Amino acid sequence: MTSRRTKGLRRRAGLALALLAVLASAGADVGIELSAEELDRIASHGPWPLPWSADPGNRVSGNAAAIFLGHGLFFDEALSANGKVACATCHNPARGFQDSRNVAKGLAPGTRNTPGLFNVRHQRWFGWDGAHDNLWSSSLRPILDPGEMGGSAARSARRLKASPALHCHYRAAFGKPAMADDPELLVNLAKGIAAWQETLVSPPAPFDRFRDALARKDASTAAEYPPAARRGLRLFLGRGQCATCHAGPMFSNGEFGDIGIPFFVKPGGVDPGRQGGIKRVQSNPYNLLGAFNDDVTRENATGTRHLRPEHRNFGEFKVPSLRNLRLTAPYMHNGSIASLHDVVRHYSELNEDRLHSDGERILKPLGLTAAESKDLVAFLESLSPTEPISVAVKPMPIRDCLPATRNSRIPAAGR
Amino acid sequence: MTSVAARPAQKSRRWRHAEILFWLLALASPGALAGCPAGTDDGILIRQGELTLAWRPLLAADRPAPSNRIPMAKHFVLDVQLCDKDGISAAQLIKADASMPAHRHGMNYKPVIKPQGNARFRVEGMMFHMAGQWRLAFEVQSGKETLRLNHDVQAD
Repeated sequence: MTSRRTKGLRRRAGLALALLAVLASAGADVGIELSAEELDRIASHGPWPLPWSADPGNRVSGNAAAIFLGHGLFFDEALSANGKVACATCHNPARGFQDSRNVAKGLAPGTRNTPGLFNVRHQRWFGWDGAHDNLWSSSLRPILDPGEMGGSAARSARRLKASPALHCHYRAAFGKPAMADDPELLVNLAKGIAAWQETLVSPPAPFDRFRDALARKDASTAAEYPPAARRGLRLFLGRGQCATCHAGPMFSNGEFGDIGIPFFVKPGGVDPGRQGGIKRVQSNPYNLLGAFNDDVTRENATGTRHLRPEHRNFGEFKVPSLRNLRLTAPYMHNGSIASLHDVVRHYSELNEDRLHSDGERILKPLGLTAAESKDLVAFLESLSPTEPISVAVKPMPIRDCLPATRNSRIPAAGR
Repeated sequence: MTSVAARPAQKSRRWRHAEILFWLLALASPGALAGCPAGTDDGILIRQGELTLAWRPLLAADRPAPSNRIPMAKHFVLDVQLCDKDGISAAQLIKADASMPAHRHGMNYKPVIKPQGNARFRVEGMMFHMAGQWRLAFEVQSGKETLRLNHDVQAD
């Protein structure tokens, strides 16, 4: 009896020692050890993907018929004035829903870089200036903008009626036919397009596997994360202070900042950034304070209700998510930086004279060595999935009309 | 013709029961501060002279933040109670805001104070949009005196 108990105690002690060894090695690596604080901060950037939840402001969020409708409309050039521009013209699925141009080009050249759409469901503000507080409103603007698609309610209604599949899904999602004189028509189309975009979720990246391995004390999986990326991660969390803004699982706080990128768009013209975005979102009839928000509590409108315009907002642009950067070059609101190496160089050699006098006071040139710059790039690249993300480019085939329920959600892309 | 509004307030038994139930629910709600005197269980206490300001953050659906830690880049509400040596204070919370002294900027959102009665206040629309040290700044009107109370907190 005593012998059996002694053996049991020994076995337990052995297990405890083994566990301690794993715990220690989970935060350690060849040439680099992670402190408890660093481990906590790494953990805060996950888990990924985030749990999906329906958008309370969009009553067809998660509705299968609306998702089919939105998918079809997203790739439909017939919504545009010349029949040649679709949402997908700029938001190319093969490039992370970006177009690789410095600035977008629809019917006419634009002034801002096309943002990627993966994980767009988790954003608070939409567009580089946050001129939209919801995804459906943000999806409607380019359809109507004369410089992008130049569409209209009449054209959209004609298009829907000409396509049995699209019209079937519209009726199933909204319970009525598409009528050009229905004040809800355009909003409904945009809500369908938003419902589809909400399914665009990028799969876990090498960083996520490292982060999860650390969280479950799996030293061998953690060791697969490249040493350069680990060193870059340390710079990101430490000296770089990048996580001050590029925080959480999205690697963005969803807000706005001035990082010294010029805001001149052409001789004599400027892009006011967030300052203009606040004015636009406040005056937009499709904002969350308006009649088209399906959240009767208006709890989803807290941000819009409490907006505080400040002088420093001039020249501020949205803090972008750092996920999928390998797919979405060039970078910054005006696409003026071609590569991740150049992005890192921008922060390393930051020109403080370009920053607001009343703006952020923590941005300083990082003064990185060539090796440190490479490490930081290696870390940023580890936030993109290594395998191609599968997204159905062509609209879904014609299907029977689907019931308007939230339980028939189609799986997110990339899972 | 008798105006309903002009009648003395005679409450039916059902109405009185509903009112009692309302107050019981209000007092039992998880976000409610316990009243005065405020203790550390009521959140974080700031004292100045005879005034005690107790505050705690409430997250979505008025869920109290675990250990009063304020998560970064999420909207929250401040639940504030003012007390003095005699119990519930007659003072009024007239301003609540926050800034990052090291960064020399404030919040991106303008908070709004909503008095709840009995020297309790809800401060809505708060958000710490960056990681780091934030300074909460309260202004309390006590008679003719304006008291300014600050408290530094970490957002992460």
